[in-house]
Formats: sequence, structure tokens, C-alpha cells
Amino acid sequence: MATSFLDRASTVAPPGYDRFLVPPAALAVHLSIGQAYAFSTFNLPLTRLIGLNHSAPDDWKLTEVGWIFSIAIVVLGLSAALFGRWVERAGPRKSMLAAAVCFAGGFIVSALGIKGHQLWLIYLGYGVLGGCGLGIGYISPVSTLIKWFPDRPGMATGMAIMGFGGGALIAAPLSLLLMEHFKTATSNGVLETFVTMGVIYFMFMMIGVYAVRVPAPDWKPAGWTPPVKPQRLVTEAHVAVDVAWRTRQFWFLWVVLCMNVTAGIGVIGQASPMIQEIFSGRVTPAAAAGFVGLLSLFNMGGRFIWAAISDYIGRRNTYVVFFGLGILLYSSVPALGHLGSISLFVAAFAVILSMYGGGFATIPAYLRDVFGTMHVGAIHGRLLTAWSVAGVLGPVLVNYIRQYQIDSGIPKAQAYSVTMYIMCILLLIGLICDLAMRPVDAKHHHRLPSTGP
Amino acid sequence: MRTTRGIFLWLAVGVPLLWGVTKTLQNALKLFQ
Repeated sequence: MATSFLDRASTVAPPGYDRFLVPPAALAVHLSIGQAYAFSTFNLPLTRLIGLNHSAPDDWKLTEVGWIFSIAIVVLGLSAALFGRWVERAGPRKSMLAAAVCFAGGFIVSALGIKGHQLWLIYLGYGVLGGCGLGIGYISPVSTLIKWFPDRPGMATGMAIMGFGGGALIAAPLSLLLMEHFKTATSNGVLETFVTMGVIYFMFMMIGVYAVRVPAPDWKPAGWTPPVKPQRLVTEAHVAVDVAWRTRQFWFLWVVLCMNVTAGIGVIGQASPMIQEIFSGRVTPAAAAGFVGLLSLFNMGGRFIWAAISDYIGRRNTYVVFFGLGILLYSSVPALGHLGSISLFVAAFAVILSMYGGGFATIPAYLRDVFGTMHVGAIHGRLLTAWSVAGVLGPVLVNYIRQYQIDSGIPKAQAYSVTMYIMCILLLIGLICDLAMRPVDAKHHHRLPSTGP
Repeated sequence: MRTTRGIFLWLAVGVPLLWGVTKTLQNALKLFQ
């Protein structure tokens, strides 16, 4: 009984089903797993579990705690790549449930790690188990949404992936609220917050498990017919996942995503100290926190807006805008800092972060255009390894180059200039790969088994 | 029935998101104070 409820066959929508009931199911999952972006709210409290108001000698170091998020992001990419085929086979309901169990389970295992003050248990809990929940949850609704919205695949996946950006906006204040609520004379409330968040997110993700539906194989939106004039980079054929990842188109898109994410993720991690150092004495820590919040909003909004725009201007052109405008904006940041214009500086980074989010949200539709819908979820999963690489590369580039500049005697306010120019080079590499995209050779197309004469 | 379900689902995801956006905007305004 329970198994049949989870089967793909049980999720096939009846005729006349309203397809706009499906995006909230995807959002329920993505809003939950998007909590990962707000994990830094736990960093300081985790370094004060013993000392409470300060770090005691036996408390964990910030550098050790920082690895929790890094492990989770690396495992996200790896698990999306590993479980992508299973997600396609099992269907969205079963995979969303697996994501919920892993993600919520990660919180509970981590809570045990906090109770016993065992950091490895948190690495294993939130990092590995939670990371699997992130990876499976991230890709689970993607191919379903693409099949429901063949007329607007960018908008549909943008809506879900917007949830991943929005998840941090909910999780950051929620975590602070819960820690404050559970705080006592002997505890800073992190343990109880982890357990509570595990329960809340499990229940919230169950909304997705319950509500998700896949369209019948022959379903099409009412009144919609596939475009008669084929677009050059949009195929009606399908490429199997094991074939797709051996094509150069896959690796071009891998570099496109990796470069776009590397440029953005480095900025996100350093946004607060960067604005304070570039506008030294003019931006307070509270205002810098506001800057980070503003970037999160643009990161979230960009996911929906840019992905929806890509339905009209095409995926390749959308990335041309990301990379072209990105190069222009990154190269102007040093000048804006020199001019002392905080407003223009903030505006430039707001647009940059909108394109960072837009890059994530547009890539599933780009994959659908190039490789078809058959294995798009699994191909997307393998492409997300680019995120894992960028998650390490971006912060390392920004942090190490900044430190090298400061060690060389360059004032802190100017220490980011070289980084910005390096980001421009990364974006240029991405632009070249995007422009090199061509349709996949017909020899790679999947052929249905012949049924005979 | 389907409309009720749709309203419930969109409210379930929309309300927390709106709360998060409001909280973030309140924080972001400090940048311009």
C-alpha cells in the first residue's frame, strides 16, 4: 500500500489536472533544502557550545566548523550525479521522500553530534547525509516540471530553483528565532534548534511528496502545439544520460555553469567584509549584513526572472547576457570603489547576483533544449558536479588572492581589484564555451527499440 | 475542490517565503540608513 503511493505510476495526473498545482510541490522541497545557504548562522554558535558567550579552549574552531557547509555542497553535487538515474526511474514522489529523510535525518544526526560534542558526527550528519538530501531534493522536481511546462520550461524550473534561493531567506531568521527561543543558562539552543528544524523541514517537504504529480506520457498543455519551425539549439530528440555526458556539449555546459557559479559564489562568501573594506568607515557591520540580505533577494529573484526571460530570448543568448554584462560589471567594480559610490557598487553586485541565480535556474532548460526531456533530471544531476568544483574554487580564489594582495602591502580597499579582473577571465571562458554550443550530433540521439513491421 | 487545494498549496509555500523576504528586506534597509 505504502509502496504503491510512492510509485511513479501513482503520481500520474488524471485528465484535466491543473499543472499549476505542481510548482508548489517543487517549491516545498527547494524552500527547505535552500536552508543550506543560511547554514552560516550556526557557525558562531557551534564554536561556543561549551563557552556559550565566548569560545572556550575545548570549543570547535571556526575553520573546523566551516567544513560542514563545504562538505554538504560537495556531497550535493556528487549525490545529484550518482542518484540522478535513480531519481528518473523512481519518480518525483519517492525521490522527494528520500530527500526529506536524508535532509531531516542530517539535522537529527548532527544534533547527536552536538550533544556528544563530536564534530565528525556533524560532518557525517549535515555534511554527508544532509548533502545527499540536498542533491536528491534539488534534481527531484526538475524533469517533472519540464514535462508539465513544455511551452515555458525556463519559467517552470526557474520557479522551483528560485525556492532554493528563497530557502535561505526563511532559514536565516528562523534559525535565529529558534536559537533565541531555546537559549538557556546552560545551552545556546543550537541542539534544540537542529532537532526542531529537522522536524519542521521533514513535514514541509512532505507537502511536496503528497502534492507532486507527473503528466501522462501523451499529455500536452491545452491549445499548445510544439513549434513548427525548429530552433537551432532546441531538439525534439532525446539523448540518454550515459551518452550525454560523453558529448562535448555536456562539458561546454559544465564549464558554463562552473564559471558562472565560481564568479558569484566567491562574492557571496566575502560580501560582508568586502563592502566594509572597500568603503572603510562608511559601511557598518549591520549595513553590511543588509547588503548580504539584498544580494540574497536578487539571487532569488534572478532565478525566476532570468529563467523566464530565457524562454523568449533563448538559453544561449541568456548566458551571453550573463557573461557579457558580468564582465562589464566586474571590471567596473574597482572603479566604482575608487569613486566611492556605494549605491552604484550595490547596484552592480545586485545585478551580478541576479545573474548568478539565473545561471542555476536556466541550466535545466538549456539541458532540455540540447539533450531532450528523457533523462534531463539525471543529466542535470551530473552537471551539478560543476557546482561542487565552483563551491571550492570561488571562495578559494577570492580569499587567497585578497590575502596575497594584503600581504604584498596593498591597502585593503584595493585588495579586491585583481580578484574582479580574474572573475572577468572566468566569465570570458564561460562565454567562449556558451558561444561554442552546437546541436548534439544525431548519432547520439536515443532510438526507441524497433517494433517490427 | 481543486481550487481549494491550489490555494492551500500556494499559501503553504507562499506565506513562509513572504515572511523570509520581509525579514530580509528589513535587514537590507539598514544599508541605506
